[in-house]
Amino acid sequence: MRVLLVEDEKLLADEFLFYLEKDQIICDWASSYANASEALAVNEYDFVFLDLGLPDGDGLDLLSESKKHQKHALIIILTARSDIKDRVKGLEMGADDYLSKPFSFLELKARMQAILRRKSGWNKEEINIGGFILDLDSWTVRYQAEKIVLTKKEFSLLHFLLLHSNRVINRFQLAEHIWGDHLEDDYQSNYIDVHIKNIRKKLGNFASVDWLETVRGVGYKIKT
Amino acid sequence: MYLSTKMLLYNLLAKGIILLFFLMTGPFLLKYFALMDIDAELKDKRDQILAIISENGMEDFFVGNDSPGGFGSYNILKEEYVLLERLEDPFLLDSIFNEERILDKVTVSYRVCAYVFSFEDETYLMEIGKSLETINRIFDLLFRIIIFLLLAFLVLSFFLDTIFSKWLIQPFRKIIRDKIAHINEPQQFKHEPVKTSTKDFRLLDDSISHMMWRIQKAFNQERVFISHASHELKTPVSILQTKIEAFFGDETLNEREMERLMDMQQTIQKLKKIINSLLLLSKVNNAQYLKTETVPLHELVQELVEEWEPLAEDRNLELNLEIRDEFDAKSSNGSLCHIMIQNALSNAMKYSYKGSTIKLVGRLGPDEYQLLVLNEGPAISDELMDQVASGLVFLKDAKKESSGYGLQIIYKIASFLGVGVRVESNSSGTKFIFCFPVT
Repeated sequence: MRVLLVEDEKLLADEFLFYLEKDQIICDWASSYANASEALAVNEYDFVFLDLGLPDGDGLDLLSESKKHQKHALIIILTARSDIKDRVKGLEMGADDYLSKPFSFLELKARMQAILRRKSGWNKEEINIGGFILDLDSWTVRYQAEKIVLTKKEFSLLHFLLLHSNRVINRFQLAEHIWGDHLEDDYQSNYIDVHIKNIRKKLGNFASVDWLETVRGVGYKIKT
Repeated sequence: MYLSTKMLLYNLLAKGIILLFFLMTGPFLLKYFALMDIDAELKDKRDQILAIISENGMEDFFVGNDSPGGFGSYNILKEEYVLLERLEDPFLLDSIFNEERILDKVTVSYRVCAYVFSFEDETYLMEIGKSLETINRIFDLLFRIIIFLLLAFLVLSFFLDTIFSKWLIQPFRKIIRDKIAHINEPQQFKHEPVKTSTKDFRLLDDSISHMMWRIQKAFNQERVFISHASHELKTPVSILQTKIEAFFGDETLNEREMERLMDMQQTIQKLKKIINSLLLLSKVNNAQYLKTETVPLHELVQELVEEWEPLAEDRNLELNLEIRDEFDAKSSNGSLCHIMIQNALSNAMKYSYKGSTIKLVGRLGPDEYQLLVLNEGPAISDELMDQVASGLVFLKDAKKESSGYGLQIIYKIASFLGVGVRVESNSSGTKFIFCFPVT
């Protein structure tokens, strides 16, 4: 997979490149409108990550160029701008998703997967973990023929942890994934423990859930 | 009350007063002027008779008369009479008065002009009378005609005035409906001038448009500032966030290092939440959200309860949902409604006594739909309530490790969405009441 990152902040771009390249993704970086415009005209990309606030132009204009030169590329807008009009305009102009800074790379990866699934025609997708089958279309879990009822939040948590298997996901990352940004304080991060407890209880009635590990004081990890 | 209604009522009242005044004074005035006219006529006739006497002498009246001391003549219908009488004891008299006479057993009221005069060494009393019956009949007829004409005039003028005033204030109504009613949404304000030839309305329309243009400009400047501030604040936080995330992915870290990293993550998380809360408040203040959705409140609350139920159970709290009526909030914003009600519920969860019940009630009143979030727990201090309601100061609740933005966000969103919000808090618990307008 080849992606183009359009981002003027070098420090952020460095982390971005480091993270993506670790996942064997070829990543080009354009720090300005001019560089991005050139890269879009010359290369072919699977994903374009577009920052709207560029020093020499408006990222929204680049969106039109992306749609022109990169007909198959999936575009995710990454911006620290707060104006909702930009968001609406970006999505109207053909962006596939919009992620507000500061975002977690784990969240970005989850969004990328969701877009890929959506664009690939909603093919039925199931994930197996320890004999439990997560059906991503119907948002249900079953064990053998038995259907297990999880709440939306519980399913979302389990799926997020599974997307990032073998990696420690801290409570804040999990809380942000399921609650968003708008609760008053960090109180909701404590609720993650409650959800995990419920997941363990519900799944534990059918089989062992040892694969869902607690990392003390930090968060959780699914070991595959 | 609308101006047009007031004008209509004033119109009716003023005309009613005019009619009443005429009904009260009309008969007297008419009578007065009718009598004046009769008096003038009687005096004129008196002068004519005196002229005849002066020219022809008294013989025409007294010669061949059955009563040698007097002369009397009534016309056939007894509407007028003339009477001349020789006075043995002279006295002075020049007067006009009403008098009743019985003629052929019928009492007739007369207006009488009585005059004493001397002619050829004799003194005579002359009376000229005119029946008041005819006058009264004419007066009644005249009064009825006038009343009819007046009523017709009043009704006609009322309709004409109503139509005219409606036409006259039409631009004013347009200014209110299309402009003043939208001053809380400056971004949606339309600057097209209202068509009017009335200078006052033109001035009002221009002034409002100019004022809104200035507000729009200020809002736009604020929006650009917020956008830039957001970029400047969030970008460094993003860098920190990504660096910490990269550390978290390092499997060689020991437990102690992980804990330290978690502390850093917590600090960044707080910073993110503060920035997001401030930006949310600024954007709500700056009316940057759309209000175009219809939000089914009963569904939203149901969804929230389902989301929060496991957490409530864990805290040994009971969530009791009592939706008595279903309601769709029109011209609203689903995401903001969600944040507003969720914050109230989160607040209730945070400050409830263990084992207590949190009630969510939805009920439809005559003018509003009320959504209540009630919990049993310690009261919110009056000081905090006052400051939050005034929207001036943010208070940090140090005891609860809370930023204090939650209540502020509730108030600001409610104000933006046109939802009334009341918070009643005492030692037995706290009650959030959201009042959604029905229209």
